[in-house]
Amino acid sequence: MRSDLKLVLKRRDFVLGGLAAASLVSGCAPRSGRAAELRYMAWGNPEQLGVEQQLVDEFNRQNPDVHVRLFRVPQSAYLNKAIIMLASRTAPDVIRIDHYSFPDLVRKEYFHDLTDLARNDPDFHETDFFPQALEEGKYNGRLFGLNVLLGGVMMYYNKTLMSSVGLDDPFDLWKQGRWTWRRLRESAIAMTRRASYGRPDRYGVQIQTFPHNASILWAYGGEILDRDFRRCLMDSPGCVQAYQFLADLRWNDHVAPAPSAGAISPFAFESGKLGMTFDWMGMAPRYRKSVRSFDWDICPVPFGPFGGASILKGNQLVMYRECEHPEEAWRFMQFMTGAKTEKWLYGDALRRGDPARKSVAVSPEFLNARHAPFNTPAYVSALENGRALPITPRWGEWVTALNAELDELWSGRDRSAAAVLSRAVRKVDVILASDEGF
Amino acid sequence: MAAREGLIGTLFIAPWLIGFLVFSLGPMLASLYLSFCKYDLHAMQWVGAENYRRLLTTDPLFWRALQNTIIYVAFSVPLGLAGSLAIAILLNQNVRGQRFFRTLFYLPSLVPAVASSLLWLWVLNSENGLLNHCLMVLGLSHRACPRWLEDPVWTLPAFVLMSLWGVGGARMIIFLAGLQGISESYYEAAYIDGASPWQKFCYITIPMLSPTIFFNLILGIIGSFQVFTSAYIMTSGGPGNASLFYVLYLFRNAFEYFKLGKASAMAWILFAILLGFTVVQFKHAKRWVHYEAAHD
Repeated sequence: MRSDLKLVLKRRDFVLGGLAAASLVSGCAPRSGRAAELRYMAWGNPEQLGVEQQLVDEFNRQNPDVHVRLFRVPQSAYLNKAIIMLASRTAPDVIRIDHYSFPDLVRKEYFHDLTDLARNDPDFHETDFFPQALEEGKYNGRLFGLNVLLGGVMMYYNKTLMSSVGLDDPFDLWKQGRWTWRRLRESAIAMTRRASYGRPDRYGVQIQTFPHNASILWAYGGEILDRDFRRCLMDSPGCVQAYQFLADLRWNDHVAPAPSAGAISPFAFESGKLGMTFDWMGMAPRYRKSVRSFDWDICPVPFGPFGGASILKGNQLVMYRECEHPEEAWRFMQFMTGAKTEKWLYGDALRRGDPARKSVAVSPEFLNARHAPFNTPAYVSALENGRALPITPRWGEWVTALNAELDELWSGRDRSAAAVLSRAVRKVDVILASDEGF
Repeated sequence: MAAREGLIGTLFIAPWLIGFLVFSLGPMLASLYLSFCKYDLHAMQWVGAENYRRLLTTDPLFWRALQNTIIYVAFSVPLGLAGSLAIAILLNQNVRGQRFFRTLFYLPSLVPAVASSLLWLWVLNSENGLLNHCLMVLGLSHRACPRWLEDPVWTLPAFVLMSLWGVGGARMIIFLAGLQGISESYYEAAYIDGASPWQKFCYITIPMLSPTIFFNLILGIIGSFQVFTSAYIMTSGGPGNASLFYVLYLFRNAFEYFKLGKASAMAWILFAILLGFTVVQFKHAKRWVHYEAAHD
């Protein structure tokens, strides 16, 4: 009996094992004959990820030999997740990396060199890109990333409020070369209103923290770091003058909300109680939805004695170094950064950012606007005249130390920009000179 | 037989044991090793005690974070214990609505830390916050009101005040249980001897509750040293590093700067500090903690 039972079990085991093996093999087989499975990782809110999924679906439809799957990660945990996956060699094939992290990650050889893929692609032409957009994705002269969600810091302004107090449109002034920081101050004073109890119930302008306010440093002839990124230069006369101007807006002119007042919704731009604010161009979709009670638009940053350059910064679409299907992944990356995709993402429908391609920046799909913001030449100005931030591998460390010191100025505890910047520069220099990793 | 029983017992605790080894002891030992390395998830280099040396001798933010945390602990723990004990005594009174009041006082401790931090951001807002509004109602001018989270002088007091939000929580429950374990016969005897309520509190309640107080003190110090969420959500360590707590600085080094060796060293320094505190407290406990003798 026992030996018969053994025989039966063996046969059944064989059948079950065979079925299991067959299902395993069929599960591993490419679906519908597709050759390559790719994972693509991106961040965003549910709506933005919905857009990403649409793009992925469209690519899959156009490329039946490739199947891309969107790997979603909550934005708050994105960087940690990406770094841990890269370090543990489990990273997706194509990843979007914030440019703040790109310099540190690219030097660790996590990414696939795209130079040869680009060179061998007849549809890829470097001349079609804005130089800075392409340079951001390069390391030691080699291409490692394609720019996505490129954007500049713009000035968003309340057109209705400005018109109601008799101010000229700042975009018209900018076109005439007359939209200066001095003019901004006058406009902010005109728009600020005090309530009966003595405190402002409407402010003219919001002061941003570094790096959002870097434009004014350049406008007054200042620089942030030296060319080698070894020394902080923010104690220069130009930087001191620029930041003193901003601090005076808050503590002398009282036209900018204090940190506590600005942190809560009554004085957010959408509330209509703030005349002007500076932020990335990616804020446009949000303001389109949230601003209902007034007209708004965008304007490039004001001119200073040394011009008016906006910050320009993008994010990098990279390929994981150990991607098993680099050709297919490159094809997907080309699709995601192609002219057609850029026109859709950055055109009037979505306004997610600035195009990296010159051809898109001058196209009707990008320039024509049926919804705010209508001053689309402001975007082109940022693309043509924007400047890059000195993003080093230790950007997070020294910017945290810098802002901790600058907080003294913005909070009014020390109203001398010279003294604050002197201390800040010393602290930043210590970090820049110290050994990494300690 | 004994061996077989031992084997069965081991098998029963094996899931916990495996979990402990894999998820607790293993990572602890790994972090001890990492604390002697320079490691950023990409490359690991043995540097000996260099992380410890630099933390203790050349990192001003380390000492600032430690100082902030010690000040926070020095105020929040005694105030928290006193508050919890006071509420427990009140909730131990046999009055109408006793259950309702117990629930009411316990509710704030159930609010998640992130939600309560966002709530307190509003309460402590220096322009439009509830706290300053109440102070102005009491007669303080707007200028004289503290700027709480904007002023380095008032930031730590603000966090200490926030910590008292949860005095009606687990600590209070433990005190309540301790109070209910004190025999009525002591109070009856004291009443007969003509003791006042204050005397009863000092000579009966406190000594009989001393083991519970000791327990809450140990856990309170350990917990307060690890303050993180509120500072991370509300101030990110500002203004001017005034709320840069130890664990927040550790987190920043580990997960923002990816200096995992340095962060591991910080973790072990914290462990040593807390171990030292606990050992000292246990040694001094013999002087003031009275354990009731068992009755046959």
